[in-house]
Formats: sequence, C-alpha cells, structure tokens
Amino acid sequence: MPDTTRAPADREITFAQAIREALAEEMRRDSTVFILGEDVAEAGTPFKVLAGLLEEFGKERVLDTPISEAGFTGLAVGAAMTGMRPVVDIMFGDFVTLTMDQMVNQAAKVHYMSGGKWRVPMVMRTTMGATRRSAAQHSQSLHAWFCHVPGLKVVLPSTPYDAKGLLKAAIRDENPVVFFEDKMMYKLKGPVPAEDYTVPLGVADVKRVGEDITLIATSSMVQVALGAAALLEEIGISAEVVDPRTMWPLDEKTLIDSAKKTSRVIVLDEGYERYGVTAELASVVATGAFYDLDAPVKRMGAMHVPIPFSPPLEDATVPTEQTVFEAARTMCGK
Amino acid sequence: MPNKKTKSKTNSNGNRARNGASRSKTPLLAKDARKGAPTPVSGLRTYSIPDMRLEHPDLSVRQSIEKDKDGTEHVRYEVTGNLDAPVPPIRDSKYLDKKQCIEIYRYMLLNRKMEVALENLYKQGKVVGGVYFGLGQEACSCASAYALDKDDWFAPMIRNQGSLLVRGFRASDTMMQYMAKADSPTRGRDGTSHFGDIEKRNMVSPISMLGDLIPVLAGVALGARLQGRNVAVMTYIGDGGQSTGVTYEGINFAAVQNLGLVLFVESNLWAYSTPSEMQYRCKDLAERAIGYGIPGVIVDGTDACQVYDAARDAVERAHRGEGPTMIEAKMMRMKGHAIHDAAAYVPKPMFDFWKKRDPIARFENYLVKEKKWLTAKENAELISEVERMIEAEREIAVNSPMPTPESAEGGVFCEDGCHEIKPKYGMPKVTKRTGGYKETEAAVHLK
Ligand SMILES: Cc1ncc(C[n+]2csc(CCOP(=O)(O)OP(=O)(O)O)c2C)c(N)n1
Ligand SMILES: [Mg+2]
Repeated sequence: MPDTTRAPADREITFAQAIREALAEEMRRDSTVFILGEDVAEAGTPFKVLAGLLEEFGKERVLDTPISEAGFTGLAVGAAMTGMRPVVDIMFGDFVTLTMDQMVNQAAKVHYMSGGKWRVPMVMRTTMGATRRSAAQHSQSLHAWFCHVPGLKVVLPSTPYDAKGLLKAAIRDENPVVFFEDKMMYKLKGPVPAEDYTVPLGVADVKRVGEDITLIATSSMVQVALGAAALLEEIGISAEVVDPRTMWPLDEKTLIDSAKKTSRVIVLDEGYERYGVTAELASVVATGAFYDLDAPVKRMGAMHVPIPFSPPLEDATVPTEQTVFEAARTMCGK
Repeated sequence: MPNKKTKSKTNSNGNRARNGASRSKTPLLAKDARKGAPTPVSGLRTYSIPDMRLEHPDLSVRQSIEKDKDGTEHVRYEVTGNLDAPVPPIRDSKYLDKKQCIEIYRYMLLNRKMEVALENLYKQGKVVGGVYFGLGQEACSCASAYALDKDDWFAPMIRNQGSLLVRGFRASDTMMQYMAKADSPTRGRDGTSHFGDIEKRNMVSPISMLGDLIPVLAGVALGARLQGRNVAVMTYIGDGGQSTGVTYEGINFAAVQNLGLVLFVESNLWAYSTPSEMQYRCKDLAERAIGYGIPGVIVDGTDACQVYDAARDAVERAHRGEGPTMIEAKMMRMKGHAIHDAAAYVPKPMFDFWKKRDPIARFENYLVKEKKWLTAKENAELISEVERMIEAEREIAVNSPMPTPESAEGGVFCEDGCHEIKPKYGMPKVTKRTGGYKETEAAVHLK
C-alpha cells in the first residue's frame, strides 16, 4: 500500500483518534483482531483513546482484564499463536516490566525456536513520555528494552498520520510488535486521509528537508526537533528532521543518506541517553556516513535519573526545543 | 522469640495441620458462607472465614446493554440487590476504650478534611498532577494503622492517606507532596502520599505497581526476624490490585515463613472503571486466605471498631511470630479513581447505598448518640479544632518554595557518606561453623 504522507488529506484528527480509527478499521476488516487490557472497555482507557470501541465491538472483543499484566500478555501470546490477532493494552509504559517474561522469553522467540512453525501476530500498545507530572513510576520511556531483543518489532509513531498507518501495519504483521504512544501527543492534531492506508514498518520519513544538519528524532522528540529547526532557520541554519518511525526494523539507508548530505547529526529520543536507542542510531550513522561527517554524532535523551515529579525538576530531564537548538547551533559553529 | 514455631489454637485457618481440614469428632457441619445454611458434608474438607460484619450487603454489578433513541447500544453497569437495607450499628470493640475511639474518630476527621483541602488546592491550580481520595474508606485507613505498635512497619496505598496521619505524619507533608514542593518529604521528586520514613515512623514508601508492596513488606519482616524481632508489617491492596501475580508470591512467602504480614484487602467494589465482578470469581476475597493456609477475616470497612479489632488480632499474631493474616475490608470507593474521574460508570444507587454507611457519620453517631462519649458541644469543638489544624497545615504547605531545576540531577546512588542504614533491632547473629564443607558432586547432567 502506498505511503501517502505527503498526500493532501481533507481532514485533521488527533493522535488518539487516529489510534482508535486504526483499531476500529482493523477490527471491522478482520474478526480475529480483539483488544484486551485494564479499563479498555467502559472507560476506553484513562486517556480515552479507545472510547466507543466497546459500543461497536462488544465486550467479547474489547475485554476488560483483571489487573494482571503478566497474565493477560501471556493470554495474548497463546491466542496469537493459535490464529487470533490480539492487541494488548498496557496502560502505562512503566508496567511493561511486568510483561517482559512473556514478551522476551516467549513472544519474541517462538518463531525462531519452533523452526519457523509457530508465530505470534500480536501487538502490544503502551505509552511512553515524561512531563505529564506523573513521577518516576508513570513517566518512563522503556522502548529500548524491547529493541534489545531479537524477534520483537518496535514502533514509535510521531504524528496522527503515522500512528494510524503504522498501527494498521502492526496489526497485520505476522510478528509481535510493541507500539509506543507518547501520552503527551494524544491531543496532537494532524492530517489523516479517510481512505484505508498503512505505513510499512521499516521505512523512515523525512519530516523536514534541510541542508546543514540532520536531527534524527523519535516519537514526541520529532515535534521538539521541528520546533528547534524553526528556531535554527531564524539564524540561518537549515535543519533536516528524520524520523525512523520504527526502531526495528530500522531504515538505516534513509538515516545515512541524510547524514551524508548534511554532514552533521544529532540523535534525539525521550528514553534514557545512556544505553538508549540513540546509541544504536548514532552508531549506524557514524559507521555509514563516516567519511562525510564534520563532527561526532551527538546524542540527546533523558537525564540519567528516575523522572522526578516536580515540574522544575522534570522539565530539566528531557531535551527541549531550546536545548536542541543550542546543541545544533554549537555543532554548526554559529 | 524468632523462628519459634508456636502451636496456636486459632479458630480460623492459621497453622492448620498439613492435611488441611479442621477435624472434629462430631459429624462435620460446615457453614456454607454463600448460602448461610449448614450443609452436612462427609469426607469433604471444610473451612470457615470469620465475618465480623453486622450486615451482609448482597449487591452485585453486571454489564448491561442499553439502547438509546436512535438504537445505538450503550454499555452500562447495573446494580441489583437490596438497596434499601437498614444501616447496621457499629459493633462494640473488644479492645478500644472511649479515649481511643475518640482518637480514631479524630484521625478520620483529619483524613477527610485533609482531602477536602487537597481538592480545593487542586481547584485553585496549586496541585501538580491529580488528587486521590479515600472517601468512605477513612475507618479502614485510620483504625488499621492505629492497631500498630510503634516498632511495627506499614506501607500505605493511595487510598490510605489517613494511615499516615495516624502514624504521626503531618497533613502538610502530604499536601507538599501534592504540590511538588521543595520541602516535601521527597523534595519534589515524588508526589502524593508516596514517601516513607525509616527513622521514626517505619513507613515504606508506596510503590505504584500494584501488589509490589506485599513482598517488600514481607521482606521487612524477614529482615527484622533475622535481627531478632518479630514485627508486624501492615500494608494494603485493592480488590483490583490483588489480581496481580506478585500478590500471590508475596503472601505465599510470608505464609511459608510465618512472617508478620498484616494485609488489608480493600474491597471497595471498583478498580478504576472495572467492577470487582470482573476482577475475581470467589465470593469474598478473604476466602483466598484458605489457599494460602493463613487466617482470613472479613470486616465492615466502614466500621472503625471492627477494623481495629481485626487488625489488632493480626498484629498480635505477628508479634507472636505466627505468621500473616489477611483482612478483607468491605466498603465502597465513594469518588472516582482520582479527581479527573467522575465515575459516571458507577450506578448511582450504589453510591446512595454506601453514602448511608459513611464511616465518619456512623462513628460520630456511635460516639455522640449511642455511647454518649462525646457531647454535641465537644464534638463540634473537635471538628473545628481539626479544621483549624488543617488550615494551618495548608498554609505551611502552600508557602513552601518549588525545588530548583539544578537539584534534578544527582542522588541516584547512595554515595559514600550519603547516609547510613543500620539494622534497627540489632545485628543478625553469626553462627560459627566448626567442620569444613562437605564436597558434593554436581548432578551428571550439570557437569
Ligand atoms: C501493576 C499495575 N497495573 C496497573 C496499574 C494502574 N492502576 C493504578 S490504580 C488502578 C486500579 C486499582 O484498583 P484497586 O486495586 O481496586 O484499588 P482502588 O483504586 O479501588 O483503591 C490501576 C489499574 C498499576 N498502578 N499497577
Ligand atoms: Mg478497588
């Protein structure tokens, strides 16, 4: 299916609506798709992302679970192995820790260990992102954990358009996919066509074309990078913003091509900078564009602390338009 | 004395013989909790769960489909049962005297008024994030914590802001947490009632991940026993949160090791938008105690005297080194999950039913009208004293500054000289081995 990112859409919807539409359309298209998680039915999740799905699809396909993340993730694995396409909802990304055994030791490995006989076509949707004043146990961005495990695909949409297309592709994928939604983006609006489309996993997207520096950014950091790019433009620096969209599969070529073109790269991600996905992305670029780079690749991620609760503290822990602007300006020698 | 196996004659399920059933010479008569009628059984194991309540509400909630004018289906929850049942009296406590009852009542008032103050602070835009309430659950929080001795430990969950007041924390501590202030116990790093105190009040800070506190508290008891003391460790879990696997693991370990866990299961009928009917299948969560091999008891969570008595029995059992107790407190979450949640999914008659069982109003009636332990005037004075106190605490909290961004970094690790935590009850004993170690071989397949 063609990626119509640049195709004009005659309507704008929010990120949350895009997720809901993707789920509803896939559930209409394929009766094996169903949702399970805590407070997904009547409440439609605390973020109201799933509001209305219970009404349309009934309580059998929008299933409220007991508070048992490890258990219902295992349930999804079993259902997926035997012909269903469950979409698991993990209310806060911080609770993925409870699902790790099922995801890492079972879902990720079944296809390989069975000699290709079994598969696990499930999607786990969860949240990430700080600055919602929710403290350290409700604010983490733990996507890097899954990226480390062969057998899991990891998706980080940054716009309503991408969210819808990527989620549909994830549901149709034959493998376990972990889908991270930044909870601060649910209200973000953007153009989304009404027609059916998917965004293939493993294709990066250039969100802004530029000449002097490349900002590789994921999820909510794409908006930060675009904001920084606008500030940079005012001082005569043309920044390109590239969104890998999926951490695995990873579109290395688009990242490297952009790096070769601009010769300077900053990688941004809301997860921890230390041992985070920025390390992998920077390494891909540093290796692939080695002879074209004018400066070492710079990485920016969350400060190496549990995310604090108080606003002045929390705001100091994540990259902002201003800090990215400063870093880019320094790198460009202006 | 640590590690001493005691044989106790508990009439519930504690320390039962390994083969299970309570045996008696006379033909076994089991009181089936569900039907209330004695059923003769032969060869069947029977267990019973003491129930201290003076009423047994028979309400149940189920999902139903409602069609609106244009035929669109809406899913609703419906409540059935006797919604007009009369309000039961407060059960006289086996242990509490007049002074103690009044003290608990005062803590319950403080608990409620503090939460009203928090709600107002929220409306004034002074709170960071949301506010959580224990409305309707004040008896459970306050009377349970009141049953602890000074050296015992506890860890509240989000509805137990009252427990903190009982243990001597100030209302301003919690208020400053909610406002993310620099002087809050966590210096702005965590919010709500998520803080602890290892020095004076023996409080382990709450963990967001439901159930995680249970093994952690059991671990506190294990550590204390290695230091030579049997302490009671009290914590709480919701009727939703108890569905987590870690709940099982924590209780089971405490049971196996006879650790002094006092676990309050707060059956408040909802877990966010999910009714307890979709959380578990047994009739009463206290029944789970049977499977763990520990005593389980049911109390009316809106009756401070029942809560206290059950908690005190459990605390004393813990002090004797006899192991954990599970106390199910039946009540109702009288607000939404947090301030943002209007709880539109809760059938209104359920709120009406439980409103009549308001723990403070009933306790007030008990103290003023029934026992005549408080005159109307004394009661009014007590209430205004509590209000003045909350107002003063609010002032302190509001006037605390916000932390500075520079303080975000650092403090992740306990560095040299940061602070010292010593075993509180003495150093664990070291037994000296005389002989050498016996050489053993690994199993063949592990070589
Ligand atoms: C492991 C885990 N899963 C999900 C949550 C999100 N969550 C917080 S409170 C709550 C509902 C808790 O209900 P219950 O345990 O009955 O306590 P109540 O709020 O009724 O006091 C949920 C789902 C969590 N904190 N931890
Ligand atoms: Mg509950």
